[in-house]
Amino acid sequence: MTERGRSAFFIQGVYYSYDDLMKCVSKIRQTVHRIPDNNITLIANDDLETYASIVAIWLEGKCYVPIHPLQPLERCLDIITQVGTSYVLDSSDETRYSDYHVISTKHLLFTDYDIDFEKGCSDEELAYILFTSGSTGKPKGVKISRGNLAAFITAFNAFDYQLDENDRCLQMFDLTFDLSVMSYLLPLLSGACAYTISSSKIKYQAAFELLDEQQISFAVMVPSVVHYLQPYMDEINLPSLRYSLFAGEALPLDLVDLWSQCAPNSIIVNGYGPTECTILCTACIYDVTGGNKSVNGTMSIGKPMLGTEVMIVDDNCEKLPNRKKGELCLSSIQLTSGYWNNSSRDAESFFVFENKRYYKTGDLCSIDEDGDIMYYGRKDSQIKIQGFRVELSEIEFIARRFYSHNNAVVAMPVYDDKNNCTIQLVVEKAGRDDADALIAYLKKYLPSYMIPARTYFMSSFPMNVNNKMDRKKIKSLISSKN
Amino acid sequence: MTEREILDDLQQIIGHVLDKSDLCIDGNTTASDVDGWNSLTNMQIISDTESHFKIKFKLREIIKLKNVGDFCKIIQDKLDSK
Repeated sequence: MTERGRSAFFIQGVYYSYDDLMKCVSKIRQTVHRIPDNNITLIANDDLETYASIVAIWLEGKCYVPIHPLQPLERCLDIITQVGTSYVLDSSDETRYSDYHVISTKHLLFTDYDIDFEKGCSDEELAYILFTSGSTGKPKGVKISRGNLAAFITAFNAFDYQLDENDRCLQMFDLTFDLSVMSYLLPLLSGACAYTISSSKIKYQAAFELLDEQQISFAVMVPSVVHYLQPYMDEINLPSLRYSLFAGEALPLDLVDLWSQCAPNSIIVNGYGPTECTILCTACIYDVTGGNKSVNGTMSIGKPMLGTEVMIVDDNCEKLPNRKKGELCLSSIQLTSGYWNNSSRDAESFFVFENKRYYKTGDLCSIDEDGDIMYYGRKDSQIKIQGFRVELSEIEFIARRFYSHNNAVVAMPVYDDKNNCTIQLVVEKAGRDDADALIAYLKKYLPSYMIPARTYFMSSFPMNVNNKMDRKKIKSLISSKN
Repeated sequence: MTEREILDDLQQIIGHVLDKSDLCIDGNTTASDVDGWNSLTNMQIISDTESHFKIKFKLREIIKLKNVGDFCKIIQDKLDSK
């Protein structure tokens, strides 16, 4: 088979060849070429046009800003406003952005191939901006440059695994989540095929269907997928899987022990990296013979990848010695130059130590004498739900706004006996007459994974000895009601 | 049990898991049609359905379910073969 005839994507049950991809890139590129803006918003659908749009944008030396197709319009409009563009690439049958210059990528016509990359790009130019949950009620943008992304690719290739054109790679992530970038880009750079999952699917089921039926050989997944598959481990046998990388959440070691039996020929890796440090920057290979390091049942996140340095600091930003627990800080060529138009956040999150620029991750870690990093959890109110970063304070901010900032609210993660996390919202207010209206309001501004599973109302919140809202007491009160 | 009775029971189970007492579903309803029906709640729905009907699903059966109608049919098949 010629290189162009090989499959590049398997999307919603249909194979698309590299030639299909190149034609689609070419037709979109001609339009992107005429867009004056450098940062272009892209509706992140699960189709060839969307992936081709990313390539077309990059070939034109521009930057893409993915917008989730199912997230509330208000949130999406806020992102577009923050970016300051008036152009939207949208492959949807019906667009939600008719007030903007919408380029309907499905309706463009292919005339000729246009896939040469003649225009030079500096490492500083942006590749993508991802917006994540922000504590002030507004999503915050993380700028990732071409140099950051190239450094990640170099570091990953230097790590332990080389993809080739025969690999069949799982791409289970929404394009608004940075693990998607490695899941589509690594296969494309190797001539391999990426098997995608639509954001409307039940992810763990769709992931297993592809792993099993399409004999996926390379898979990047959040640990939740395996967690949800746990009741069915005795039915799962994936001999074709050669590489499974977990990232996005703490990885329980006992889950990896089970997965290693389901995927007997697979290298298993626990990867770690905030969006700010371009996808992954530390990694740990699971040893099937045992002796894997863990704390509180969570597998070590390993050592820094090529080009990354780490240190642990205390609350005063003083460097701590080995084995002392503190905040993990990263210095790397993968590190973002900062947040989009948010200098106050930059000042909080980045600092210089011994002439190197570091990012404070907000993750509590320690480093042992072998240089392995142990992960304890989050330092702040940020939690992860199925790999998505959720600032509880963002939910609280929007809920308080619903009450015109007259009522106190607390959003808290509640874990069941299987360690499944849901968000529960407690409002300081007598009577739950407006509970439905509150949830409807939250749905207008927040993505579905941030919507509380339950709401509770208390006429007054318990206070602690410092006269502060006693979150622990509130949590125990609602736990008794569950 | 008739298909209608199975659908009514399923509606109650799903409504309970999703905390929606007024949930209304039919054979064509899919998970993406219902707010809150996600990976986590889907696991609870499967587990509660197994307990309610005293049946057990295989993973390969679950991944083939495209809508509530498929769900009812597989429950019916399992009840018939008991």
